This record gives sequence, C-alpha cells and structure tokens, in this order.
Amino acid sequence: MKKSNDHGKPETGHESTNGSGQKYGMVIDLDKCTGCGTCMVACAAENNVSVRADQSDKERVITWMRLYKISNGKKFPHTEVSYFPRPCMHCDHHPPCVSVCVATATKLDFNTGIVSQIYTRCIGCRYCQAACPYGARYFNWWDSFPQDKGMDRYLTPEVSPRMRGVVEKCTFCHHRLMRAKNQAYAEDRRELEEGEYITACTEACPAQAITFGDLNKPDHKVSQLIKHPYAFRLLDRLGTEPKVYYLSSRDWVRKLADNFLPGEYEPVVNRTWAEDEWSTKPGRDEF
Amino acid sequence: MKNQSNSAGNGTPPRTGDLVPKWINLNIVAQDISFFVIGLIAALIVGWAIFPALLYSKQPQPMNFNHALHLDSEIVDGIDGDTPQEKCESCHWFRDDGSFSGIPKLDMCTGCHDDPESPLGEAPEEKAFLVNYVEPEKQIPWFVYSKQPDCVYFSHIAHVKMGEIACTTCHGDFASNKKLPLYVENRLTGYSQSIWGKNISGIYLNKTYADRMKMDDCARCHTEKGQEQNNACFVCHK
Amino acid sequence: MTMKITRRNFIAAVVGGVVGIQVTPLPWKFTDDAAIWTQNWPWVPVPAEGAVTEENTVCNLCPGGCGISVRKVAERAVKIEGRTDYPVNPGGICPVGMGGLQLLYDDDMRFPGPMKRAGARGQGQFVNITWGEAYDILAGRIAKLRKDGTPEALAAIDGNYAGTTTGLLVERFMRSVGSPNYVKPNAITDTYHMGNLLMMGKSVPMAYDLENSDFILSFGCGLLEGWGAPGRVMNAWGMWHDANPKNRKTRVVQVESRASNTASKADFWVAPRPGTDGALALGIAHVLIKKGRVDERFINGFTYGFDDLTSSEGQSQPGFKTIVSNKYSPVQVERITGVDAGTIVALANAFSKAKAPVAVYGKGKNNLNGSLYEFMAVQSLNAVKGRINRPGGVLVPDPLPLAPLPEFDPDEVAAKGLETPRIDGAGTKAYPFTDSLINHFADAINQGARSPVDTLLVFSANPFFTVPDGPGFMNALEKIPFIVSFSPYRDETANMADLILPDHTYLEKIEDIVWPVGLQYPLYGLTKPVVEPVNDTQHAGDVIISLSKAVGEATGSAFPWENFEEALQARAKGLFDAGGGLVHYDASKPPWKFKPFGNGQKPSYKSFDDMWGEMKSGGMWFQPVKLAGMDGLFATSSGKFEFVSQKLRQTINETAAQTSQKAALDQMGIRVAGAEAFMGHYAAPKLGVDRSKYPLFMVPYEMINLSSGWIATPPFLYKTIFASQLLKEESFAAVNPETAAKYKLQQGDRAIVKSPVGELRVRIDLFEGAMPEMVYMPLGFGHTAYDEYQKDKGVNPNNIVKALNDPVSGYPLWWNTPVTLTKA
Repeated sequence: MKKSNDHGKPETGHESTNGSGQKYGMVIDLDKCTGCGTCMVACAAENNVSVRADQSDKERVITWMRLYKISNGKKFPHTEVSYFPRPCMHCDHHPPCVSVCVATATKLDFNTGIVSQIYTRCIGCRYCQAACPYGARYFNWWDSFPQDKGMDRYLTPEVSPRMRGVVEKCTFCHHRLMRAKNQAYAEDRRELEEGEYITACTEACPAQAITFGDLNKPDHKVSQLIKHPYAFRLLDRLGTEPKVYYLSSRDWVRKLADNFLPGEYEPVVNRTWAEDEWSTKPGRDEF
Repeated sequence: MKNQSNSAGNGTPPRTGDLVPKWINLNIVAQDISFFVIGLIAALIVGWAIFPALLYSKQPQPMNFNHALHLDSEIVDGIDGDTPQEKCESCHWFRDDGSFSGIPKLDMCTGCHDDPESPLGEAPEEKAFLVNYVEPEKQIPWFVYSKQPDCVYFSHIAHVKMGEIACTTCHGDFASNKKLPLYVENRLTGYSQSIWGKNISGIYLNKTYADRMKMDDCARCHTEKGQEQNNACFVCHK
Repeated sequence: MTMKITRRNFIAAVVGGVVGIQVTPLPWKFTDDAAIWTQNWPWVPVPAEGAVTEENTVCNLCPGGCGISVRKVAERAVKIEGRTDYPVNPGGICPVGMGGLQLLYDDDMRFPGPMKRAGARGQGQFVNITWGEAYDILAGRIAKLRKDGTPEALAAIDGNYAGTTTGLLVERFMRSVGSPNYVKPNAITDTYHMGNLLMMGKSVPMAYDLENSDFILSFGCGLLEGWGAPGRVMNAWGMWHDANPKNRKTRVVQVESRASNTASKADFWVAPRPGTDGALALGIAHVLIKKGRVDERFINGFTYGFDDLTSSEGQSQPGFKTIVSNKYSPVQVERITGVDAGTIVALANAFSKAKAPVAVYGKGKNNLNGSLYEFMAVQSLNAVKGRINRPGGVLVPDPLPLAPLPEFDPDEVAAKGLETPRIDGAGTKAYPFTDSLINHFADAINQGARSPVDTLLVFSANPFFTVPDGPGFMNALEKIPFIVSFSPYRDETANMADLILPDHTYLEKIEDIVWPVGLQYPLYGLTKPVVEPVNDTQHAGDVIISLSKAVGEATGSAFPWENFEEALQARAKGLFDAGGGLVHYDASKPPWKFKPFGNGQKPSYKSFDDMWGEMKSGGMWFQPVKLAGMDGLFATSSGKFEFVSQKLRQTINETAAQTSQKAALDQMGIRVAGAEAFMGHYAAPKLGVDRSKYPLFMVPYEMINLSSGWIATPPFLYKTIFASQLLKEESFAAVNPETAAKYKLQQGDRAIVKSPVGELRVRIDLFEGAMPEMVYMPLGFGHTAYDEYQKDKGVNPNNIVKALNDPVSGYPLWWNTPVTLTKA
C-alpha cells in the first residue's frame, strides 16, 4: 500500500495497519492469568506512571494495564472469579480515540500497529477518553511526582513523565521497541527476532499468560494463538479490530467479553474437567 | 468628518488639483506616514534586535575544550579511525546496547589527565581543569548545545550507523573547533538556541541541517530520504 | 513639519508598530515559545539519562527468594524484573517484588540514619544521632544488664527468616549476652519443620515436587496468594494451564473456605469450614483405604502406625487405619467440614487415579503458621498413597550442607541468664517442640506489673501489625522500658522504639536465603548490594558483630569475624565441602527435572574462592533434584515414616508420668485420647465463647498484591486493589449475600465486626464466593505508620483476632475468631 503523507498514512483512507510492516499484538491467556496484578505493577514501574496516596478512585487512578475482576455469579460454593487484564487494545480499524482527537496527539502507526499518544501535543480535552470503548485512556488530574519524597529517583528516562492536564495510555511499551531496535542496529541488523521486543507486562507475567509478537508474521506465537478455538476479543463486534486477544476455556468468561443477547452466545466448551470427573458420583451409601 | 474639514480649511490649498481629493491634507498624511514608519521601525528593532537579545541568555561553557587539539592523533593517543566519523566515535561512542554515550564523563579525560599535579600541556585551561575537576573527581557540568526536550526520543545509532549520516550533518563541524562556542539558551523555554536555529525568523533557509533541530527538520529530512514511515509520532516521541 | 505628538500621531505610530511587529519573529516565536514553556513545567521531573546496566540479585522481601534483575541508569535503579537465569523463578516475580524500588526510594517510609526518639512513643518523632552515639547507648545498656546479672531482660524479636545468617548472628548475640528470649514471628515453615520432625524424625524443609505432579490437592495453600516462591508457583501454574489441552496434564484442586484466586482459578474448588482441612484429608484417606487404593508397598515397608499397634505393655492400640476407618467416613467428614460426601469420594477417586498426586498444605502465604495436626493429616494422606520421596510428591532432601557456626562458651553471667526460662513458654512441657511463641510473648509481659523485658531488640519484624491481637502487643511494647529497632522503615513497631539503628534495605546489602519455602531441591540464595546505600544505614549483621565487641570481651569473643560477609563465608564453606553444587543455572535444564538424572551438570568452580565469587555475582548455589534412597531416609525411632508419632507419644508419656495422661494432654491442648493424639486428626476447638452472642466467624485472608508482613506494600500495588476491597480509607469485609441479608446489609454498607477482643469498622462487599456465616477480611490494611500511601487505609483484622493455641505447637490459630456483624 502506498503511503503518501508525512504521517505515514495510506492513501486509501482505510485506517488500519498495512500488511508490509509490523502489526504488534498481544494474546492474554485467562486460564493462566492468576490475577496477581504483577502486570499492572510492572507497567506502572516501566512507564513512570504516577501514584497518589489514594488509589481507590478508579475513575481517576492511572492504570495503563488494568485488571478487571469478573465472577460467574453462581452461588457458593460454585462461585468462580476471573480477571481481565486490559491494556490499550491498539485497535487496528479506525481506533475510536484517534478519529476524535482534535490535536492530532494520537495516531495509529501503520508500520507497527501501535496507537501513539504524544503528551506534549495533547490539549487535555478528554474526547478520546470518552470515545474509547475499553476505558483504556486516563487523564492526569494532578502533577504526581513529588520530588521531595525521593520517589522521582526510580523514574526511567525512556518514558517522559507526564504533566497535569494530558491524557495517557498504554503504548505497548513503545520505548522497548526503540530499545530493541538500537540493540539490533548495534549488532548490524534491521530485523528484530521474535521476543526481542516485548512489553513490560509480557515479560513480568509470572504465569507467562501474556504473549506478544507480530501478528503479520505467521510464525510468531501470537499469530498461531489467535487461531486457537478459545481465542476472542473484547467487544469484538464493534469492529474496532483490537490487537489484544484473549484465550479462555471458560464459557462464562468468554461470554462476558461482549454484550450478547439471550441465546446469542454459542459455548465453545460444554463441560469442564471437574464436571467430567464428577459426573459419575458414587453414592454415599457405598461408605 | 471633523478632521477632514479641519485639514481642508487649515492647510495650503492643494496643487495637485484633480489627483488628490480636496479633503486630503498631504501634510497630515506625511505626518501619519512618518509616525507609522517610526512605529514600524521601532517594532522592527524590538522584534528583530531587542527581543532576540532579551530572549536568549549567553553563557560560556564551564571550561574550554579544544576539539582540534584532541583530534590530532599525533598529540593524543587513542583517536583512531580513518574517517572523521570514526574519530568522533573515539570519544562519543555507541554503547553495546546501541545507545549513545553523548559527552564523555570525567573518567574519559582522566585516562590521560590522570595526575592533577602534572599537566600534560601548557594551557592555563588544563591547569584549571585539573584543579577544579580532576582533583575533586567532579563531573564537568557541560551545557549541551543540541539537547532536546524530554518528550523527544532520538536514536543516534539509527542515523549515524544505519542511516550513514555524518555527525556534522546535524551538529556542524566541531572537530576543527579550538574554542567551544557560547551556550545560548532561550530564557522562556530553556531550550538551546541550536534547536530553533540561529535564524530567529524560524524560516527554513535550506542551508544545512546543522542550522537547527526542530521537529519539522526531522520530518523534512525523513521525507527527503524516503523514510516517511519514520514520521509517525512515536518514532521521535517518548 | 512640526512633530507634535497628537493622538492621531500616536495612533499612527501604534499602527505602524502593530504592522511592523507582524514582520518580526516576536509574535510567532513568542507564541511558539509560550507553548513550549507550558510543555516543560519545572516541577515535572526529567529523569537523567545514563549508561544502562542490569544487576542480578535475589529478592528478599519474602522467604521465596526469587531471582531479580535490577535495571540501572547510571547509579539509579529504575526497574526490577524477574531473572530468567535463576532456577527458582523462570522469569516471573510477584507484584510486591516488582514494586520493590518504591521501598528503596520512598524517603517518607525510611529512616535517614540512626535516630533517637524525640516525641512520645508511637508518634514517630525522632532526632538524628551518629552511629557512634547509637552504639554507645545500646552497648552501655546491654553491658549494664549483664553487670546487674539480669541479661535475660534483653529480648529480641527477629523476623529474619529461619536459618539465615543474620538470624543466626542475632540468636548467637542473645546467647553470648545471656538471654534465652530470642523470639521469631510465626511462619508456615515452623509447622512444616515440626510436622516433619514428628513424622519423619528430622526437622527439614518441605519439598513439594509441584512441577512433576499431575494432581495437586492443595489444602489451604495460597498457591496464587504468594505461598512458597511466588515466581516459581505461578510459573508452574502457567505450565499446568497450557493453551494446548494436550499439555494440560496437571489438575489443581483447592481446599479453602473462600473463593480465593487459587480456588477460583483451580480446576475444582472444595470449601470446607475453616480449620477442618485435616478432617477432609483423613476423609479422603478413608475412601482410599476402604477402596484398597493405598500404596501397600510403601505402607508396609516404610511406615509405622498404619495398622494397629501393640504398646510396650502388650496392649493393642488402634492404628491410623482403624481410627480413620472409624471416625472419618465421608458422611462423618461431611458433618465436620460441610463438604458433600460425594465430593469427598470424587476427590479420593481423582487423587487415586492420578499418576503423581500430591497433597499440599499451607495457610495463605508463608507468613502465617498452620496447625500441626492438620499438617500431619495432610502428610498422612500423602503417605497413604505412597507419595513420600516420589517424583511429583513430597521429597525428603537433606538440609543444606551449610557449615555450622563454631561453638562458643557463654561466660558465667551469660550461662546463668540462659538458665532462666523463656518468657514465651516455648520449649516447655506444654509446647515441647516449639522454638518460639511470639503470641505468648506479649501475654507474658502484660501479665505482671513490671515487664520482665528491659530492652527489646527488633529485627526485620513488625509484630505490632502482624501478630494476632495487635492491641495486646501494643500494651506490651508500652510496658517495655527500652525498645531498639533495626528496621530501615518507619513501621508501627519502630515508631514505638527509643533507638533506631536502621539496616540497609534488601537492594543495598548482602544477605542469604536459606531454601526458598516449598522448593524441592536445596538452594542457597545470596542477595547483593545493587545500589549504594541511599541513607546512612548499616547492615544489621555488621551492627551485631560490632555491638558484640562494644558490649564486652566475653560477648565479642563469640564473634570471631571482622564483618558479616566473613560469617557468611564461614557457613558457605560447608557448601563447597559438600561438593557438586551448581552456581549457574542453565534454563534448558531445570533443576526439578529428574531426567536425565542430575542433568549431568558439573560445578564450574575449582576452589572455595571461585565458588564464593560466582555465588556473590550469580546469587545462587543449588543441587538438582534427586531422590534419596529409602534406607535411612527417616530418622524416627522406628526408622520409618510415622503415621503415629512415637516422638510425640514419648514426650506426652514423659509428662504424663509425672502427672497423668489427661493432664499431659490438657496441658498441650490435645482434645483426643489414645493413639489419635499422636497422629494427624481433627478435634473441634474449644472456643470459650458463647456462640449465641457471636454467631459468625471472622477469617483473615491474604492477597498476593497486598503485603501483610513486616514489609510495606509498595504504593504501585494499591492500583491493583479493587474498589470493593479498599475505598478511600475504608477496607471491606467479604460476606456471602445470604448472610449479609440476614443482617440487612447491602453492598458498600458500613458495618461493625465485633469479636470478644475488639471491634472494627468496615464496609461490606457482597461476595458469592464467601462461605455463609463467615466474615472475610484482608490482612495488610490498617497501617498506622509508614507513609501517606500506607497510613490509615482500612483496618487490620489482626486487631480483633482472638487466637486459640494450636495443640502441641502453641502457635496461634487465627481463623477461628467468633464475631458479630452489625450495621453501622
């Protein structure tokens, strides 16, 4: 696809990643996810995300990667809890946040598939925040790095700390792509190997639930995993083409990923291991 | 209307006859023009001379560094390389991870200037350097001419090694400098003048890229070199 | 032309100026600069650039000891990541470890250097002193106690994990001074060690071969709540739940009364009443026995007490099999646990069908002790199925071959002091196998008018916050005349101190990790300083060595080392002498893989100095897993695994010989008689509370993303806490909707949870996963110290826990607090 303007946008106006570049995507296996929250902490530490004394106001606390808790709602002792780790979906088709940005502070990069966010360009109108169906965007209500506490000492120079009044969100740890490229250049290469560029959450997940890679490369693990029968996306039917996929063998989890009408959802797995195992219950009389 | 009648009544009768309407008093017009020009000239002076003078502060570097001297491989050991590029990299090298080391730290200097008691040359600058920095093991607080703001990401290796762009393309010729230029800083933004460029007008004169380092300049060069894809926001921002 | 400046002229000039200014850079440049100015506020920090390095070390925030790598930019640490070249945790760590830099760099949380109390106790007001002054004050005080002949009035609470060198040095210091009152906070490993001593004859770590197991029946073990080495367990969890169903060979069943993360994410969740896990384990054993699905070879060859026993007097006593057959049928167990009998049978079937099942015991994370008999019951289940010393089961390795510190002779004063009884009653006839009982420590002080402790030293512990009945502990602290804290953090207990000698934090010092909890192969970890000390702190190990010399020659002579590292090396010599230990980890050869045996790896070092150098940089010494031979495996008097512990029987009989069998049992809190008293069993606890007045139970629970021990929760982690767990300054109690309805409580309502000890104000979270009639409260909230991130956030359930004593061990049973719930 020919690119014409200086923002690398293809001429056709079809706003989505082209086939020639990279298309970075993520697969999160919810069966493996333990809900520990390491991804959230790794993300915050990696990206200089601000911390305030009160982190319980979930509408204002900044969590690029956020864990949502869901439950099957069944009565005790059949209750199950599961978690949706939710980074920015990096929508591949007309990202809703991009089209509404009046300041061109956020763009979909067609060569990486990453939706960018430039803080110094953001005017803080929060239109993108309203437009994002995934709640992935956060507004800086405060300047949040008190320098007299010494907490600015762990800030990394790879990610610019944000000021009050701008919106921020997950960048797929874009600086890690830059880091990996620099490393490759130092070794006289242009191409990155699979796994050379992964996000902080991917690296941190102690259960290896997160897989990251190039969806344009069929041999990358992500490309294979998204073909898995358990694979699904959040609010898939909006047509935003998220590049973050989920895997779950639990139907109740999969069902909560979208707004289904009664009877509309088709289960993938009918019986769990325990149901199979427990199906031939011997009577208590035996003992 | 009052003015018009006044001017028509008080001034000398117009000789230009039909060319100038009667109600125009050329004297007054001349005065208007004079004052307009005075204002105009004053504004131009303010805008082109006083404003830039006020806007920028000029500071000498904490000490001089003679690039020309240090790049003379007959005087200084360890300046290797056949090309100017390689010579630059003797001190401004790439680390193993591909990052750029920037201005050398003191330990690079003390590789040769190791004894505060015995200077290698005769220059008074060197003595001051030994006393002020080498002995107390204090880093030299250099001003960085081409320092970009925190929101900017720039990979030297991508440009210098992969893009084969000479250091001088953006930084100009430092190698033959005997004296470090003054550091000129914008008082309002804190940016070095090298970012906006010496030409206060901000108009791109297409001389060399070493003039200035604005975002537009990065984008222009990318476009010229057929690297439009690198104009995506996240390539240069962090 | 007259140049009189009229109004008109002035306007002309202004117009000229306005027009002129447009063709100067001023407006355009100014606008641009003003915009740039707003992008660079001086108060938004600009992190300094620099060379990036990665420093490998080991996390010491919990006894899990995961490998971490600290990313540094120039001299600043900017990120902690899991190490892929460390055998314990292949790449992953827990959220607390991930947020560790906030524990290093948060000035408000840390002491800047040695300090002396300035304000009232508890207020946290201190003034700086020098290290010299601090040594003088403390050494003088201890020397005086010794001069007065009351060295036992010195006490230490030491939170350094069991077996670590700093812990040993503190204990040694106490002995050299002459005080037996060396107390440690409880940990799950205490229960493991005691249980192993009684059933296998040796006090060795638990070694669960989780990675090789295909059926994990976890009794209350918080596999996903931070038990063991979290990086290891969660990695295994990911392995067990592979996306490819063919690779999903391992099933996990969680036994726990609340739908914790582990319970929810397990393949199946079984919810017995709190404290009845032991009965469930025996119920499963009952089914296995009745169905004949026991490992007869193991039982016949290597166990004692399964079949009926004949006592020395020739009397026949029922053994494990008879007792379990009579008392623990599924129907009986259903009555005790509330778990449906059919489920018990199904669990037994699944356990029996599996190729390599293992029953794992725990209580949440590693911080809290378990119950001895419960642990013994779970171990009995493993033994019934022959899962001891088998791949995928419970391994029985030897302890780490660390060289013991040289013996020393306490001087006369010390010897006399050491003869005085411990004030916490550990090691007495009531608690014969227990080393220390922190829960009784405060009681002993509160009982008398005057505190038997004159000076208390606190190392790496915050008992006021972590021990049940916190207010009781607070009273005790108030009564102690002089408290010295070695904590680098402004924790609750440190705020009560008179003198602060702050230790380094874990990223600033060398420290050892002795066998991460639950690991199935021997591993000795070493942390190293990855940054220069941020504050004016000193290593507690070094401080102890210096202090011993300052107190006097007699104490000083017990410490023949110049510094802490020398003491570490002295112990590590034993590792070298043992031979065969590895100091590098090859990710393609996980040490838990049995095949090929021992992986054929050879040590990479030739001399001790080589080994030590590599250990210091790599942070590890380990030996790949191997099965011990069955001969001489068990050091019990029968030489076998004992379902019925002869050591316990002998100890009880010795006490009974002086009084009576019943008195002996009562003294130890045992509520059954006969052989059952010597084996894992269930007996309903005597609550001593009118249940009609306190109809509900409060059960504290632990979360992986909330630190509940001495270490504070890094502020980042509060992002991961849900608004249904903490909302502004209020924490939530999880209650089943049915139970809540009884008390007319709805989601978010404020309520009072009241126990016989005290009451707490909480908000209610309606949670279907909570067992009816229970109130679940998270541990880790309710700090009154540290900084604004920790302070005044929620309530600490420890404050209202009415702990019973666990029979035999005397450890607190913290899951049986009767409470009421009323709308506030």
